[in-house]
Amino acid sequence: MSDSNLVMDRRSCFRFKTSFSPCTILQLARYDLEELSKQVSTAVNRAPNFFIGSPVILDLEEVRTLGVLDFNRIKQILIANNLVPVGVRGGDVEQHAAAVDAGFPVVTIGKAKQSDEPIKKSVQVSQTKLVTTPIRSGMQVYAKDADLIVIAPVSPGAELLADGNIHVYGPLRGRALAGVQGNTQARIFCRTLEAELVAIAGYYLVKEDMQNLPSHDSMVQVYLENEQVRIAAM
Amino acid sequence: MVKIIVVTSGKGGVGKTTTSASFAVGLASRGYKTAVIDFDIGLRNLDLIMGCERRVVYDFVNVIRGEATLNQALIRDKHTKELFILPASQTRDKDALTLEGVGTVLDEMSKTFDYIVCDSPAGIERGAQLAMYFADSAIVVTNPEVSSVRDSDRMLGLLSSKTKRAEEGRGHITEHLLLTRYSPKRVANGDMLSLSDVNEILAIPLLGVIPESQAVLRASNSGVPVIVDTESDAGQAYMDAVARFLGEDVPFRFLHEKPNWLKRLFSFKEKEAI
Repeated sequence: MSDSNLVMDRRSCFRFKTSFSPCTILQLARYDLEELSKQVSTAVNRAPNFFIGSPVILDLEEVRTLGVLDFNRIKQILIANNLVPVGVRGGDVEQHAAAVDAGFPVVTIGKAKQSDEPIKKSVQVSQTKLVTTPIRSGMQVYAKDADLIVIAPVSPGAELLADGNIHVYGPLRGRALAGVQGNTQARIFCRTLEAELVAIAGYYLVKEDMQNLPSHDSMVQVYLENEQVRIAAM
Repeated sequence: MVKIIVVTSGKGGVGKTTTSASFAVGLASRGYKTAVIDFDIGLRNLDLIMGCERRVVYDFVNVIRGEATLNQALIRDKHTKELFILPASQTRDKDALTLEGVGTVLDEMSKTFDYIVCDSPAGIERGAQLAMYFADSAIVVTNPEVSSVRDSDRMLGLLSSKTKRAEEGRGHITEHLLLTRYSPKRVANGDMLSLSDVNEILAIPLLGVIPESQAVLRASNSGVPVIVDTESDAGQAYMDAVARFLGEDVPFRFLHEKPNWLKRLFSFKEKEAI
């Protein structure tokens, strides 16, 4: 058996490969072809490098109740804007038939929603990294794409980094850098600010610059205002 | 069940070897079969402190390389029964230690010993990491000064991540703080960090406070661990620390300056005046 399989393999003139090339999903929110033409054109012109020649799948999930659409016209609009229509997904049976007539195959790429299921609302829970053990000198903790919460002491010489906010409930004696990917809205919250350095989106204050700190009993926040790092009691 | 203890600090000269020697003697004198291993390959000192430097034939590296058996290399202590010393090599460097080699030697020793005390070299390189890797508990030796405290903090970070226990998820190793060279007088003058200053940064259970003492240097130079000198304050403090390590509840001593009788007289007078 295995031998014959081997022979077959050698003779076969193709092989399947899975690839994860990006594919743009164009989700129709409402059916207005004139407006669609204008808006697609604007969007493509805004980022031509990204869009031109990009394969596009038309998602019909939100217009499934509107019946048969003019797929020929939609196809023209996409092609006119240098997009490559490759198929439709979502929608009902009649829409599928009309789409196939217009040269749109029906694909199941990505998570095409099962039409009978109630549409689940995706709950956006922002990521948070929680640290419960002391962060010692020389240790570095990075919360990628997330907030960082530390409920233990942060020693001098330790470094906290987060793409989001940083909350420290033990004494903060090391360095804390929030919004390291450039999020200027990120903040640092702590109970006792004895940090060596605090930074928001690359703007920083070293300990020597942290004069007139709020009294020890109050919570402190560090934020960015007009490209200046501010420290204030809460 | 054997217990492997690492004595570590990061910074040099704070009293790791003194502590290793005294702890090993303390444990052995209570009847536990104890070995103390010098991990400071190339700068061996433990044999001097233990007073067995003239009996070293084979060393730790010889055993790891299979050039000698463990029994050939282990030196029996002359004063304390149940105590053995595994000296470091003086002619090689710390790269002679391998993880597998150290693991094999410790495994073999685990069969016969109750406690194995690993005397770590200073620094955070290979020797120090291997000394801590197999440990069940750690004694972090710290002097009451800022650089020593910071280095100890760094070691605590490594202890929580770079040990076999941590890597296998068997929980943290137990950490103990031993404050050495403590001088209550200088603390009172504000020249030295106080116990609470150190505790605030390191925040691990305190095993003992060893006072700055003439006895330590005297003991080192004569090759007798200071714990043997039961008359000395440092020796008594080490005995207390060993007792606490074994779970006994011993009050802390030597934390405050001894008021001399003249001062007491004057303070009495001051009270009178008020």
